[in-house]
Amino acid sequence: MNQTVVSYLSQYEFYDVLLKLFGGNQGLLALTIYLLLGVAIIGMCATIGGLGTYAERKISADLQARIGPNRVGPYGLLQMLADGVKMMTKEDIMPFTADKMLFYLAPLLCLTGVFATLAVVPFSSGFIMADMNVGIFYLVAISSLVGVGVFLGGYASNSKWSMLGGMRGASQIISYEIPVTISLLAITLLAGGMGFGTIIGRQGGLPHQWFMFHNPFAFLATFVYFIGALAETNRAPFDLPEAESELVSGYHTEYTGMRFGFFALAEYIEVFVVCGVAAALFLGGYQIPGISIDILPLQAVQFVIFMTKTLMLYYVVIWIRWTLPRLRVDQLMSVCWKYLTPMAILNLVGCAIWMVAFDGQSIAEMILGGQH
Amino acid sequence: MFLQFLFISSAFLTIASAVAVLLTKNIMHSCVFLLASLIGVAGLYATLGADFVAVTQIMVYMGGVVILMLFAVMLTGGKDFISRAQNLLGLPASMGNRWTYGIGLIVGLVFLLTNIKLLMGITKSLPVKTITNEFPSTVNEIGHLLIKEHVLAFEISSVLLLGALVGAAIIARPRKQN
Amino acid sequence: MMSLASYLIISLILFVVGLVVMISRKNIVAILLGIELILNAAALNFVAYSRYVTNNLDGHIFSLFIIVVAAAEAAVGLAIVIRFFQIKETIHIDEATQLRN
Repeated sequence: MNQTVVSYLSQYEFYDVLLKLFGGNQGLLALTIYLLLGVAIIGMCATIGGLGTYAERKISADLQARIGPNRVGPYGLLQMLADGVKMMTKEDIMPFTADKMLFYLAPLLCLTGVFATLAVVPFSSGFIMADMNVGIFYLVAISSLVGVGVFLGGYASNSKWSMLGGMRGASQIISYEIPVTISLLAITLLAGGMGFGTIIGRQGGLPHQWFMFHNPFAFLATFVYFIGALAETNRAPFDLPEAESELVSGYHTEYTGMRFGFFALAEYIEVFVVCGVAAALFLGGYQIPGISIDILPLQAVQFVIFMTKTLMLYYVVIWIRWTLPRLRVDQLMSVCWKYLTPMAILNLVGCAIWMVAFDGQSIAEMILGGQH
Repeated sequence: MFLQFLFISSAFLTIASAVAVLLTKNIMHSCVFLLASLIGVAGLYATLGADFVAVTQIMVYMGGVVILMLFAVMLTGGKDFISRAQNLLGLPASMGNRWTYGIGLIVGLVFLLTNIKLLMGITKSLPVKTITNEFPSTVNEIGHLLIKEHVLAFEISSVLLLGALVGAAIIARPRKQN
Repeated sequence: MMSLASYLIISLILFVVGLVVMISRKNIVAILLGIELILNAAALNFVAYSRYVTNNLDGHIFSLFIIVVAAAEAAVGLAIVIRFFQIKETIHIDEATQLRN
């Protein structure tokens, strides 16, 4: 059954009060709730994306024993506003020989692909825009729009660096989609469903109930997913499409002002989404340890737990970026095709065999005697 | 109401982009319009309650086929060959003059009318099915169908995909300079 | 508004447009675009019939297989196009007149 945030709210009494306010018009109320929540989520994620740039600079400064931004506002916190103002007031340059339509379209495609994935990110058991029964599949599918955007951005700029960056980006994204999708398939197998609600519902709040520690194969799948997803977001050490030492800045070399801002924002939000998905699928998502009842005030606790896990993974991503050197192109492809893909397939087969052989029990359940 | 909105917008997107594929001179733009058209078709699948098929459509076309086509256009120079002489629709004049189009139109109309006449009878004899706006999940049922009734087709398609993968890799491999 | 007939009409338009793309274009990639449109028109029909006429999901299965075959066809087709370009340095369809070399 497709659960949405509206159908979740409609089981509480205040929904009826709201319904009276709207004159009993179900559709209008649902539309209003969706719009408000959509704006709220996009605003929140744009803020997270903005804070991401700040966090990135601050953490990198920390890792390199520098201070980092500290002039604008307390601890340099308002740096993102200054960056935003700078970005918006910059001149919007378009190369003379650029393909106009595609040049305008490419950043929008990137942003659309990323924002569309936010519809299924499970912030809490009720605060998920649409808990579709094809949840993960939808997420993987719609985020491939980013690949098209990157490719078109590289093509439309009509510049050698952009073109090489765009081709590298597209081939990297479509290659790494395979190990990512197969490791997600292993989790689908464990959960018996593709909706985020189903998957998180099968896990518990404590670490031994998470899918990451369900069996050895799922443990491996976690890392395969995380590495693959990191590569899909074009982050270091997989940032070949925008390798500044070879390609200036890759597919967005020719973009200025807000259009460049769109690409950057899409990248930061995509990292957030990837971390959120990893937290939801492998780390128990929003489950509160020890409490399984579902009342409205606990939604806030669930939200905080989910965000904590996600932001910790976000820190790991930034940490990896400023620690590891960049791969070469041939190394990138051999990591994907020679190591990650066979490992992902092994995980899938292993999980399937585990589900049959041990009747779907996790290691912890077998040790503790099958209690849930 | 929302369903109708989705239907109308998807149908418009599908048809308008398909026509744009036909009329655009730039092959790269054609590919992008094809992508829009296929997303529209995915929207139509969604209005038909086929959630799994809709997402598969987006996954396969957006993540695979269209990017492959863009790559192919880029690797082959991206030229499109529009013949100089064109008629009003932007089609090459070699496709026919007004007489051929006129005859085609008449034949098409006759064909359409006969078909409508014939199909009306069949449509009336179809079992009446009540259409509800409830969309049950199709994922479980599709999974069961794929490994029970259609398992042979499923296996054959996996062999087909393997063959296509190996074949494409062999055909497109770089030529040895000798 | 939303009936079997409207889906069939959309599918018809998609099919005809795909056919005209296939006939009128001289670029091999553009011909493949036309083929994709035609295959999608067919798949749309199957799903529409599955909702409005039958009571099972065989139509969905069939359109899934159509998508699979379309993907395989695109991969092999584009590989052939790239190979053809390596040999002839053009992808004009009228240049494809030889069976060997």
